[in-house]
Formats: sequence, C-alpha cells, structure tokens
Amino acid sequence: MFTLALRNVFRHRGRTAMTLAAIIFGVAGVVLSGGFVRDIFVQLGEALIHSQTGHLQVLRTGYFEAGTRSPENFRIENIAQLRQQISAIPEVQEVMARVSFSGLLNNGRSDWAIVGEGVEPDKEAQLGTYLKISAGRQLRDSDRAGLLLGQGVAQGLKVSAGDRVTLLVNTAEGALNSMEFEVVGVFQSFSKDFDARTVRIPLAAARELLGSDGINGLVVSLKETADTGPVANLLRIRFAGKRLEVKTWVELNDFYEKTVALYDRQFGVLQLIILAMVLLSVASSVNMSVFERVGEFGTMMALGNGRGDVFRLILMESALLGLIGGLLGVLLGVVMAIAISAIGIPMPPPPNANLGYTAFIRVVPTVLAMAFLVGFGATALATLLPAARMSRTPVVTALRANI
Amino acid sequence: MVVRLEDVSKAYQLGEQTVDALREVNLSIEAGVFMALAGPSGSGKSTLLNLIGCIDTPSRGRVLINGHDVSGRTPDELSALRARTIGFIFQTFNLFPVLNAAENVEYPLLQFAELSRHERDERVRRLLHVVGLTGFAKHRPNELSGGQRQRVAIARALAAHPKIVLADEPTANLDHRTGRRILRLMRRINQQTGTTFVFSTHDQKIIDMAQRRIDLEDGRIVRLGVRTGSDWIYAMERKDDVSDDNEDAEA
Repeated sequence: MFTLALRNVFRHRGRTAMTLAAIIFGVAGVVLSGGFVRDIFVQLGEALIHSQTGHLQVLRTGYFEAGTRSPENFRIENIAQLRQQISAIPEVQEVMARVSFSGLLNNGRSDWAIVGEGVEPDKEAQLGTYLKISAGRQLRDSDRAGLLLGQGVAQGLKVSAGDRVTLLVNTAEGALNSMEFEVVGVFQSFSKDFDARTVRIPLAAARELLGSDGINGLVVSLKETADTGPVANLLRIRFAGKRLEVKTWVELNDFYEKTVALYDRQFGVLQLIILAMVLLSVASSVNMSVFERVGEFGTMMALGNGRGDVFRLILMESALLGLIGGLLGVLLGVVMAIAISAIGIPMPPPPNANLGYTAFIRVVPTVLAMAFLVGFGATALATLLPAARMSRTPVVTALRANI
Repeated sequence: MVVRLEDVSKAYQLGEQTVDALREVNLSIEAGVFMALAGPSGSGKSTLLNLIGCIDTPSRGRVLINGHDVSGRTPDELSALRARTIGFIFQTFNLFPVLNAAENVEYPLLQFAELSRHERDERVRRLLHVVGLTGFAKHRPNELSGGQRQRVAIARALAAHPKIVLADEPTANLDHRTGRRILRLMRRINQQTGTTFVFSTHDQKIIDMAQRRIDLEDGRIVRLGVRTGSDWIYAMERKDDVSDDNEDAEA
C-alpha cells in the first residue's frame, strides 16, 4: 500500500510539483511570519528589560499597586544583605538599587512634572543597552550632581547636555527640597511616554535629595532572559514573609502581555488563512486526482480491497504530500529566515515609540512545528472528503469510469 | 455449483425511467466450465457478470456463490468474498499503471496475511510463466502491448486461486488474432487447473471457443447452449425471443 501510494504521488509530476509548491510556500509563510512576530516579542521584551525594568525587581510589598503615588512609604532599608543573597544566584548578572520619586524639574523659566529614578549609574549603563543616548553621555558613578533625562523632558523644557536644572521633590518627612543638577545626557528609549517623564540621577544624590537612605527596589539583571521565571520563583520562596515581593519584567510591563496577546491573535488568523489557502489548493488537486482514478479504485475494490483500504490509500498519498511539502516548507522557511536576518528588516518606530529598529526572522522550534502541522494538517484535511466520497462509491459505478 | 442465480432481476433508475437490465434470471454454473455470455449490447451481459462477481446486488432474487447466499452482506464482506473466490479480467485491462507486471499480479495476494513474501514471489513467477510473460516481470503496463497487458490481467485474476474467473469483453480492446490467443490461453488454464471461466462477448468466433454459452436478450436468458464438437446443442430455447439468434447461429 505504501509503495503504491508513493508511486501514485509522483505519477503526475507536474501536478504534484504544483501541489507541493502550494504546501511549501504556505508552510514557509508561516515560518517567516511566525519568526517575525516572535522577533517583535523578543525585541520588545529586551527593550523593556534593558531600558526600564531589568529582568526582575524586588519591591516592598504593595509598592507596585500603590507605591508610585507615595514611593517614600515603600522604602527598603539595609539592602546589603538582600543584594548579597540575590547576587549569589548563579543566573544573576547584576543587582542594582533604585529609588523612585516624583517632582518638578525647573530650567529657570518653567517647570516640568517628572518621575525620577535614583540609580547606580555604571551598573545601569550596563543594563541599559536599549537606552539610546541622543545627546551628551551616560550618567556615571562619578557624577555627583549629574542628571540624565528623557528626550520628551528635554524637549519640553528646551534643555540639552551641559544645561543646569533644578529638581524639586517632597522629602520623606513631607518637606520640600531642591537640588541643582547638570544635564549630562538625553536618552531615548523604546517608549515615548517613558522618555516624556523620566529623569535619572545618581542614587547618592537621590538619597540626599529625599533625605532617606532607603530604596524602593532592587533591579535584578540576569544572564539569560529565559531564566526569569525560575529565578523569580526562587526569590519568592526566599523572601516569603519578609514584606517583599518579586515582580518579573512581564508583570511590570502590563502592555507587553497585551501586545503579545494581540499579535498572537493576528498570527493565529494569518495561520488560519494560510491553512485555508493550502487546504483549497490541495483539495483541488486531490479532487482531480481522485476523479481521474475512480476506475482504478473500482478495480482495487473488485480485487478485494475494502472501502477502508481505498480511504487509507488516498489519505496516505496526501499524507506523503503533506509530509514532503511540510518538511521542504520548513527547510525553505529556515533558509529564508536566515537569509533575511542576515540583512535585517528596517522597521519604523512602533506606536508610542521614538526609535525605529531592525527586525529579524527568528527560527523558533515551536513555530517550525506549528508551520509543519499547518501544511500537513491542511493536506490531510483536504483529503478527508474526497477520500470518504470515493470509498463510499459502489464498485460497479467506479468500474464504469474505466470504459 | 459454483454460482447459482434464483429469479434474479436488476433494475436501474435512469432519471424518472426504470430500466430492467435483467429479468427473472435463473442460472447455475458448474465448477470447471468455460462459459460465454453472448448477446447484443444492452442485453444484460455485463449486469449478469457484475451480479455473479458480487460487485453489484440484485433488485430481486438471490445470488449464491459456492452455496452461500450473498444477499445482505456488507460491501466489505463482499470485498473479502471476492478476494478469495472471484477473479476479474476487464475489457480495459485495469492494471495499476504505477506497478510493474509482477507487482500487478502480486497485488491481490497482499491481502492474504498467511502468504509469505517468498510464497507470493513464487506464485507470481509461476503465473507469469503460465501466461508467457516471464521476461516482462519488471515492465510497467505502458511498456506492454495490449495482448501482454491482458495476459498480466489473466495472471492477476488467477493469483488468488479463485473458484471462478469473470471476464467482461476480454477481447474487445484487442485485435482479432490477439483476442483468439487470449481466449486460447484462458481455455488452456481452464482445462489445466479446472478454474471456472465465464466471459462476455458479442464476437461469434470467440463464442465458438466456449464450452457453454448463454444467450441474453433484453435482460432475459433466451438460450442455453452446450458445445459438442463443432456444433451447439441448445438445452433451453425461448422460441418467441430467439428468432434472430437462430438466424445468426445458422449463419
């Protein structure tokens, strides 16, 4: 039966080539579109990690929900031991302290409401690989009164690197305090909103400004993003009962999950469309092939084959087509993905972003498996109806097709 | 009796019209006979062969193969019966074009799990020898002449050692000389193996090679003949229907 099916597949080489082409290009399309969408997820995730949140943040319990309104109420004291515990985990690359505050930035003429972060500049510079310095330079540990601000803030206040600004904040005790800073640089991140409200100053300056030694959170940078979940779980166990909570970068960036859900749905629809196209193309070819061979199936049944044998033969022929087409489609998709990624696809800035980026096609095993299943499944599905119809055809009717 | 038909009728529905292809046919076929079904086009020869071959079912009456009533059997049960009991030779040969001669002959045997590969090969080799195609085992049907294709079909029909071989117009697509050779081959196998052969034809010279003949007209058996030497003796004759046939026979 297998030999017969295999030979039948290559009986009409032109038609088989056309059918295979439909399957191959459909599968390759799923590989490319899936790899492209996956690249968006990865690049968006890495941009968020390396410009804003890090992989993980250890925060005082409740800070994430209510802390932005009054960060001074969610300070963590004595961070040395915490930092040591986290740093001891092999997957951890760096642990950085941050203190958050809100206030007004003044350029001598006007004020701009900002959200500030006191950071450890050199460590943050290592983490912030997706933070583009559009003017000036990165903040350094040696900058006692240096300030790095987002492009939106710089444009709003019409300041640039080298200008002096005054930062006005509420201290932990509720008093007003201000300090003068020199703008050392202007940054652009993935998010326009983030750039329009964020300023960064050295942690020591922030503590002095806020009149507090505490911090709001420890930002954890990992060697591999894939380790985020396991390390987060480990830290949650270790910090249980210590009024600390561990948030992953996904939890800290609500819109990331929504973006993934949106693109996943779009990709799902695209897969369905490709599946339908392959299905229609293969159905047409299988219908033609079955119609031409009605007499042959009649002969099979006359010689003693049952209806199931006829059904299985037709299905096996299509399964072989689906298998060959699926594998070749995956191969073509991988080759094209590598070739396209070698050049890169220049992308415009996404909505609510300032920076364009270079997209790639990622070769993802799950996408390859899905693409293969789309090709194989569509081919098998396309065969069910003609195979069932043929197997139910009376022998005498089928044999009449030979005359 | 290998085959027995009792009051068998077959009617087809063509649009709103009912066509009676066979009418109340009673027939017994003994084991080992070499029988021709004769009659003009539309007389019911093919329908009768289809019913004997269990590839069609009667509208009324009973068909018994080897003493077993086949009415009420499912299509798959009938397939299983055909696989072991009945061999088919078709007018258009009906060989599988992607299989070579040996594979075509082997095809019906693939359903017999009890046969080993070696036994199948041996049987195929012997049958190809019987039909004179030993040197053509690896040839595909498109590499064979019409006569050679029909020889492969004969070998295939005999592969499962059937009780009866049915041949629907086996010489219709062959030139006269090749047709006679094919019939002689079938007759020789019939005599050597005792396999029952029933074939349909409207070629009088081919009919004359048969041992028995059944003449059909308008779905009815109008004459049953037995050959004695070069003459036909008619065991049954429906006088009102056979005037033309008698003239043909005399001619």
